[in-house]
Amino acid sequence: MTKILTKHFDEPKLHELETYKRLDGYKGLAKALTMTPADVTAEVLKSNLRGLGGAGFPTGAKWGTVPPPDKVPGPRYVVVNADESEPGCYKDRVLLTRAPHQLIEGLLIASHAIGAKESFIFVRGEYQNQYDIVEKALKEADDAGLTKTCSIKLMRGAGAYISGLDTALLETMEGKKAWPRQPPPFPTVAGLMAKPTVVNNVETLSMLPFILREGGEAFAKIGSPKNGGTVVFSVSGHVEKEGIYEVPMGSKLRDVLELAGGVRKGHKLKAVIPGGTSMPPLLEKDLDLTLDFDAIRAAGTFLGAGGMIVLDETADAVEVAHNIERFLTHESCGQCTPCREGSFWSEEILERILDGKGTAEDMPNLTRMGENITGKVICALGDTVGVIARTWQQKFPEDFKKRIPHGQAS
Amino acid sequence: MSAKTAVKSPFSPEQEKALEGWTKAYPYSNMGLVEALRSVQDWNRMISPEAAARVGEIFGLPFNRVWGVVNFFPTFTIKPTGKFRVGLCHGLSCFLKGSDKMESCLEKTLGVKKKEVTPDGKFSWEPMECLGACEQAPALQVNDRLQGAATEQLIAKLKDLK
Repeated sequence: MTKILTKHFDEPKLHELETYKRLDGYKGLAKALTMTPADVTAEVLKSNLRGLGGAGFPTGAKWGTVPPPDKVPGPRYVVVNADESEPGCYKDRVLLTRAPHQLIEGLLIASHAIGAKESFIFVRGEYQNQYDIVEKALKEADDAGLTKTCSIKLMRGAGAYISGLDTALLETMEGKKAWPRQPPPFPTVAGLMAKPTVVNNVETLSMLPFILREGGEAFAKIGSPKNGGTVVFSVSGHVEKEGIYEVPMGSKLRDVLELAGGVRKGHKLKAVIPGGTSMPPLLEKDLDLTLDFDAIRAAGTFLGAGGMIVLDETADAVEVAHNIERFLTHESCGQCTPCREGSFWSEEILERILDGKGTAEDMPNLTRMGENITGKVICALGDTVGVIARTWQQKFPEDFKKRIPHGQAS
Repeated sequence: MSAKTAVKSPFSPEQEKALEGWTKAYPYSNMGLVEALRSVQDWNRMISPEAAARVGEIFGLPFNRVWGVVNFFPTFTIKPTGKFRVGLCHGLSCFLKGSDKMESCLEKTLGVKKKEVTPDGKFSWEPMECLGACEQAPALQVNDRLQGAATEQLIAKLKDLK
């Protein structure tokens, strides 16, 4: 199976510059530097690379919205979002550990494309081991003169999930509470300190060396229509072999599950969360679903950041929904009332159902609340509060009803 | 609050210098604030109002602006943590692999409830949101460094930390 990011992961010293260079490292950057920024962006557009941090926005199109230096003079930045914290996602941690130079090369390519002379890697605070690895790799790159075109600085977060959202990440970098901004303007127009800023995920940027080296068309050919290249899934939960698996865009859900050794022995599949706990679950009947941003959206859920959690029959939908809402209550930034209050009350209602004290109104109330949150808040975290309250009970009504003593819940 | 009327700095001269360094680390001084507060949290295992006020003076920011950031981010605490701050992930994958059992184990082994500090100041523990190590569930970290999947043996070994 075609691999791009994890192709050389059996090389024990891949994180070192010497080994990375021996395996075609920094050839993509060398190529990019012979091209005009506009040509680099055009190549990435051709590749159909989509933002792999969760939104799936075409990367080349995002770069294209950065105003050119002659229109808006002054600094512009690329920020690497390495603030991975969606429950179920850990691929960025592995990519930072094993292939820091792949990311640095990608960042330098992106910086050339938008004309940034200074760029940043924002690593979540809990990834201190990875921070050290990237810091060391960056020193190697500096010493080798690779960062001549654009200097790179590192920065750490302080434990807030919401910092992983692009505009909240920029607020964190500016030394403020991580409150998401209400676009427009989008960060590409007014981002870090109101300067044009591209925020890209670790995995997205790590794809760039291949795209520049082998060409956008070669990358696009690997994936499915409008979804170029590969995607890395972090698989966890009730499977035989937890780990990261890189597959071409457009692979089947069944294929990824098989790579992970299938559901743990002696158990039956109950649900698969495809992209991290914010995404509605899929069922056994969905196993032949195609995994790319567009096909999975048509099935009512999202590819997200590829954090696949597999649940077998021992998992209880009320416990799962409660766990996710508890997480969202803790991580709600408190800016929008529907999310701040809605996450708290959803958690309370689910806790009551867990305690066997649920009432007949609880399920319709969760649905009603959910409908009043999603779409009425600034960011996707708030949307998720509503989605979780609605979808888990819709997909597993029996789990809810059996815990509600006199439940005639609708 | 005027910078001139400030009380004596709660930091050592070296610490003052390190904090000032963060005001110059990035293109805009405020961009160093979260890193500066991380340093204070590391030194004192908490951030007091006095410390936050002094950081504000160094950055030219009002106290409430800094205190808001301190109270927003889970890494920062206004009560002390242990020298070794143990975090146990209770995100969904870790919950499925028995994080609640490991919480009881931590409480029993360390002898304190969550977010409390052992009498010798050495340990505190707390459940944390997803640590990004779902394949090593239930994930355990010490001072922002992943230790692996929590087991009774791994938790017993925490006592050897120095």
